[in-house]
Amino acid sequence: MTISTLHKPFALLVSILCLWLVFSGCDSALPSDTITLRVATWASAEEFELEERMAERFMELHPEIKVEHESIPSGYREKILAAYAAGTVPDVFLLDSPIIPALMNRDLLVDLKPYEAQTGIQEEAYFPSVRAVFTRGEELLAFPKDFTPLLVYYNRTLLREAGLSDPDPDWTWDDFLTYAKALTKDTDNDSAPDQFGTAFDNKLYLWQPWIWSNGGDIFSQDSLFTTEILTSPQTEEAFQFLADLRNKHGVAPPLVSVGNSRGGAVQGTVGMFYGGRLGMMVSGRWAYVRMRQYLEDGDLDVRVAPLPTPVGGQKSNVIYAAGWSVAKTSKNLDWAIKLAAFLSSEEAQLIRAQSPIGIPSLRNVAAIQAEQDPFGIEAVFMREAEFGRQSWGTKVDAFSRIEYILESAFDRTLVGGEPISLVLQEARIEMDAQMARSAEASSDFAPLKGDSHIMGFLYWGALLVLFGVAASIWSTRRPYRSDVKTGFAFLTPSFIVLFVFVLIPLVFSLYLSFHQWDIISSSKPFVGLSNFKTLWGDSQFWHAVRNTLIYTLHVPISMAISLGIALLLQKNVRGAALWRLIFFLPSVSSMVAIAMVWQWIYHPEFGLANYTLRLMGIPAGTWLTDPNTALISVMIVNIWISVGYQMIIFLAGLKGIPGTYYDAARVDGANKWHQFWHITLPLLRPTTLFILVTSIISSFQVFTLVFIMTEGGPLDATEVVVHHIYRNAYDFLQMGYASAMAWVLFVMVAFITWIQFRASRNRVTYS
Amino acid sequence: MKRKNSFSWLGTVFMAFLAFTMLIPFLWMVSTSLMSEVEVYQFPPRLFPSDPQWSNYSNALTLLPFGRFFLNSIIVTSFAVLGQLFTCSMAAYAFARLRFRGRDSLFALFMSTMMVPSIVTLIPAYLIIAAFGWMNTFWALITPILTSVWGIFLLRQFFQTIPVAYEEAARLEGASDWTIYWRVILPLSKPALATLAVFAFMNTWKDFLWPLLVTSQNDMRTVEVGIAMFSSLQGTNWPFQMAAAVVVLLPILLLFLATQRYFIDGISLSGLKS
Repeated sequence: MTISTLHKPFALLVSILCLWLVFSGCDSALPSDTITLRVATWASAEEFELEERMAERFMELHPEIKVEHESIPSGYREKILAAYAAGTVPDVFLLDSPIIPALMNRDLLVDLKPYEAQTGIQEEAYFPSVRAVFTRGEELLAFPKDFTPLLVYYNRTLLREAGLSDPDPDWTWDDFLTYAKALTKDTDNDSAPDQFGTAFDNKLYLWQPWIWSNGGDIFSQDSLFTTEILTSPQTEEAFQFLADLRNKHGVAPPLVSVGNSRGGAVQGTVGMFYGGRLGMMVSGRWAYVRMRQYLEDGDLDVRVAPLPTPVGGQKSNVIYAAGWSVAKTSKNLDWAIKLAAFLSSEEAQLIRAQSPIGIPSLRNVAAIQAEQDPFGIEAVFMREAEFGRQSWGTKVDAFSRIEYILESAFDRTLVGGEPISLVLQEARIEMDAQMARSAEASSDFAPLKGDSHIMGFLYWGALLVLFGVAASIWSTRRPYRSDVKTGFAFLTPSFIVLFVFVLIPLVFSLYLSFHQWDIISSSKPFVGLSNFKTLWGDSQFWHAVRNTLIYTLHVPISMAISLGIALLLQKNVRGAALWRLIFFLPSVSSMVAIAMVWQWIYHPEFGLANYTLRLMGIPAGTWLTDPNTALISVMIVNIWISVGYQMIIFLAGLKGIPGTYYDAARVDGANKWHQFWHITLPLLRPTTLFILVTSIISSFQVFTLVFIMTEGGPLDATEVVVHHIYRNAYDFLQMGYASAMAWVLFVMVAFITWIQFRASRNRVTYS
Repeated sequence: MKRKNSFSWLGTVFMAFLAFTMLIPFLWMVSTSLMSEVEVYQFPPRLFPSDPQWSNYSNALTLLPFGRFFLNSIIVTSFAVLGQLFTCSMAAYAFARLRFRGRDSLFALFMSTMMVPSIVTLIPAYLIIAAFGWMNTFWALITPILTSVWGIFLLRQFFQTIPVAYEEAARLEGASDWTIYWRVILPLSKPALATLAVFAFMNTWKDFLWPLLVTSQNDMRTVEVGIAMFSSLQGTNWPFQMAAAVVVLLPILLLFLATQRYFIDGISLSGLKS
């Protein structure tokens, strides 16, 4: 049997697929006359134009070059990682703290030291602590752009109300606590404070310098292992002081929104500070970008003070910096280096200083920027740079893992009330094990080839499919052969798309699950079943599986509600179209808006939920802040979101039930309930099965809601499987391990789906 | 037959309460889009802006090339909706109305593609697009979503409920499978096709991560990526972001209002004799 005798549409589509596979491979390497350079930043809408202007200025100076500016304000890390995997890395890109060690340790960045002269800048012109972030031995791996230390922002209006003067620059931890106590108030006299001295998000990047200033640390300076220092009295004291702010003194609110805290969630720390509910907030220069406008408009009266120092401690701060780096894979290295040099030159920094986003890495430009600031905030930042230390995050590979371990440990004290010495002991064991693993892994990085083998999968897969199709047609006896051909013909269009964009990626991820892959490097050492073995003993994964299973229990509840609504709305009730639209709204509203509103509804003090409960005389709930109620709270939100979507499908299903059945039933004298039970439900079974199967599948894959609302917290109470997979793949750079998890999840979902189909088939034959 | 024209008293109260909670996030989006930045942070939140800033809309939509974003989204979404209506209904016809060897295993294979979380297949799919040289093109945005297993499954379930009698009548008159699919099954499935169209539109219109990954320039970006550009490490411009989000939401709502009558008035099987 040859292809030519197959049905025409089928043969046509197959030949298109073949041609397409052949041609698509060739056109990627076309030569071009003008040199195009790609530069990637995380510039947001407001900053975008500024960076575009930089690119245009460079093109003016060098007309033979075309600069394409690519701005990626969210998902920056995922995008850079994917670009490395595919060999499509921009020529020049901004280097951000979390990916600094990953790229530096793998030798993927050009050493810019020999080209520093091109910037026209002497080494001494930079803040030394900022330049140090991008230095490895003798090498300079990025031209510094801007940076920030951490400061205490304080609301002067609230300070005045509490009779406090501006804090002394040399203030101590005790002073900080005194201020915080004086600023914590119960303004509406309901015996629960609604204005707080400070807030403390459980983020390592915020409390790193507090530990340093007490003489403690996370790692020992020389070994990159925790050693005694993590469990030293100095470190413990610092953690204890921070935990006490909330647990003992009650001067900080319970964590309401964990997600989005850096993005300025309305209910988060930044939002409370802007809303005048927070006296003091620890943050970096990034917060001043938006705040400055409020100060200029007189909406807020805010100043900054250095971080306080414990009595007998050492004044400390941290430096978070961004720099322009050049990828070794760039095809026009000379020009890429010229562009990076231009972007960090004094000219470029002066332009940026006119609408400042960060603190310029050049001292003289920073000084000019500080002079233009009527509120004196820039000047304090500049002075603090002198005490700045390099964050561990820029030295330690896969530091997100360390952050996760330490933040989880600290959560056990903050939320769970466990003694800090105990949780630090356990964190130490975990961290050292992790460091030992990554020391082992980092010794063998293969050079980047930009070859992902994926096309091999595609070609061999396509051959296999064609062979399978031919074989199954040929092996079918003649009278049934045309049925098979017709069936295949109808499936071909969707199969081609699925094959290329879903099935091959699926098979590739199965291949990855037997390998170790960090996404960035092209080497993928074969590790056999070791990912699955690790998975078997990974209690966090099984905890996430348990949470996911519990989470799935919301599906029947939401289906019952949505069926009820659909039954009410199927009739021609007045304004039915409007009702349907309203119930449909949550499935189309912005997910971020939904998360914001629900974080407000769940707010323990000001939220609508507790307000209603109090009105009815029921004790207030803890909602997202308590590990015991957090998962249920997220489930409620998901019921609320999915009701509209399920209602629509139920409506379409109800429309398919012939009205004659109901007429016949009415003639027989069946009441409403009988009609529902004996006509509606049985005839709706295909629809019900569809909603049940798809809702359970998507419930097993819940991600966005958790990612935005809780980030898996508190105490991993809302950590679900796909969030765990995401963390491992993109934060911990363990794509192989993440793929193994995905396949275990796949087996579970497939089994559950199979049971549902089996059960429904039995019942169909029964009726 | 006369039908009831309003809910019972209890039903109305219940529905009104539910509907109110459903409206809150949307109201929050609209009112935030009209506030000044500082007003957004008033604690407890205000439901209505004290002094509506209508200029937020024009400012947000001109700060970035939203006209271009809309054009891109419309192009991508049109192809996705038409593509999915065509490919999904064909596959669903095969799975629901045809009998051939291997049908059920193939259906299981199709279904299984829904069960692996997309965050692990994202990178491999990206690698394929890169290998094709399709970065920052409509090809990358459109081709992967020309079909959807969700849609195939949806239509299969609906096609199964259509009585065999219609098909047999056509077959007796010598109709081919294509004719039955095109002239019998599709016209009888308008509610299901309308449902699929609405969801295909919605999912494509609101997709974020894939368009973000495969596009690099503003001339290829879609509306949802545009909205995200109001957020950054320095915080979020809530009024602007919500102004853009409201405008981006409108086409979905209009489409829903336009097609929702199909959910009610779709050709009812009861009108035909079986």
